[in-house]
Amino acid sequence: MIDNSETRANREFAASLGLLALVALAPLVVANEYWLGVLVVCMYFALQAAGWNLLAGYTGQMSLAPAAFAMIGAYGTGMMAYRYELPFWIGIPTGILASALLGWVLGRVALKLSGPYLGLTTLSFAEIARLIIGNSYDITRGDLGLSVPGIFDARLAYYYLFLAVLVAVQAGIFLTLKSKAGLFLQAIRDDEIAAASRGVPVVRWKVAAFVASSAICGLAGALYAHFAQLISPELGLIMQTGFVISMTVIGGMGTLVGPILGAFLVYLGSEAVRDFGGWHLIVFALLVIVVARFFRDGLWGLVRLAWTRRRAPVPQPAVGTR
Amino acid sequence: MAILSIRDVTKTFGGLAAVDHVSFDVAEGELVGLIGPNGSGKTTLINMLSGLLPVGGGDILLDGASLLGLSPDRIARRGVLRMFQLTRAFNRISALDNLLVAGRALGLGAEEATRRALTLLEELRIDHVMNLDAGQLSGGQRKLLEFGTCFMVPPRVALLDEPFAAVHPTMRAIMADFVRRRHAEGQTFLLVSHDMPIVKELCPRSVCMNAGAVIADAPTRAVLDDPHVIEAYLGGHAA
Repeated sequence: MIDNSETRANREFAASLGLLALVALAPLVVANEYWLGVLVVCMYFALQAAGWNLLAGYTGQMSLAPAAFAMIGAYGTGMMAYRYELPFWIGIPTGILASALLGWVLGRVALKLSGPYLGLTTLSFAEIARLIIGNSYDITRGDLGLSVPGIFDARLAYYYLFLAVLVAVQAGIFLTLKSKAGLFLQAIRDDEIAAASRGVPVVRWKVAAFVASSAICGLAGALYAHFAQLISPELGLIMQTGFVISMTVIGGMGTLVGPILGAFLVYLGSEAVRDFGGWHLIVFALLVIVVARFFRDGLWGLVRLAWTRRRAPVPQPAVGTR
Repeated sequence: MAILSIRDVTKTFGGLAAVDHVSFDVAEGELVGLIGPNGSGKTTLINMLSGLLPVGGGDILLDGASLLGLSPDRIARRGVLRMFQLTRAFNRISALDNLLVAGRALGLGAEEATRRALTLLEELRIDHVMNLDAGQLSGGQRKLLEFGTCFMVPPRVALLDEPFAAVHPTMRAIMADFVRRRHAEGQTFLLVSHDMPIVKELCPRSVCMNAGAVIADAPTRAVLDDPHVIEAYLGGHAA
């Protein structure tokens, strides 16, 4: 029986849908507006984490700019509404397009880079984008923030909008993983030179991953802008990127479930210990260190390991041929 | 007729000629051994043939068309597929997926790629580990797997860089049998190896390089008896 990345993707997609089904039912028990809002923010981060995971977890491109792309998406729709009084259905695609376009530029610039060079380049890009938005008072209102009109009156409507978008993004990533694109992205992640030598058009797929990831983060930011109705350059802070990366690593990088699991656990956990001030950040930093050191596959990796052990002994690496 | 023509190819690193005006042809269906002591420029030449290193001078032709300036993936899609001296497998995807990457990249549909991958896994006797990630395989199994990726779609030329180095004799025999069978079917090979008994057995013709230059190009037995080749390998004068 074949058990490869396609069948793994099937299992993980089913698990992530199960998780999202629980999220869909949550309003039955969470009637409080504040906590509904917290869950919406969880989904905002889950979208970013899913986008970042596509680029870093599946393609191996360690970008430090997911929050910057969310900020660009937010300002894309925000500017359309504030400056030109255009409706959200024009603003949101504009935000996504702006993020995707800048993702393409960053992807082309970063083509030959890897490791710390790639990280620093994407970090520099993120800071430049944040500083430009923050200092362009005449255009973006800079640090004063930008008011963005809402789409709905009820918080519950935002809740299900974010959920529907998250399911759609998950389905999109799932279908990508099941196609040859998924194989190629993972091959590039594991060994770019070998991938090219086997005929994989590495340049095309790396740039495509940058564009898709940036567009997803931009979509998250654009939706958030209409939900929060006030955006500022703080959306693109490196700390926000740190949050997205932590969520993915804790949940399970390079898996479909990890980013969603991580986003909900980390953000809900952060809300639970918010009263302790800055200490909650220390708790999460330590959690990231522990996961990175001892559980490289994150929480989903632990679940997978437990499941495998329950079903059959873990296959041992074979020494010779049969 | 020559499938692969290497014409006056040169590569220098900081003034040192790693490949020095090398010329030879590989004809369709030929199995040519490329031998020479360590540092003689064999792998550098293979890297240029597969597009991983830019050619310093000269030309490389495949079916009469120049490969100069083409990216490694385009060269692979034209039919020049290579195996690396130090195994390069995709460690975090399964052995089956490793083969599917090559098959899909070379234009096969999902079903056909899977069918061919399963056949290859069986032929190379690693079908029992097809669901394991390549990173979990033994060194020899990984080598067999990488060897297999070159044959998902029959290449115009298979460039095999030290396929028999540091592998168990059983696996060496599997690969040698495979090469022998495919050669009998008309597959073209350029085989880099230090394993002289296997080169002598498999390759009717060999090219020997030393210090970046071709010092012998003749039937393998004649090459191995060539005093210049013996001197290059032993570092002294031939008896």
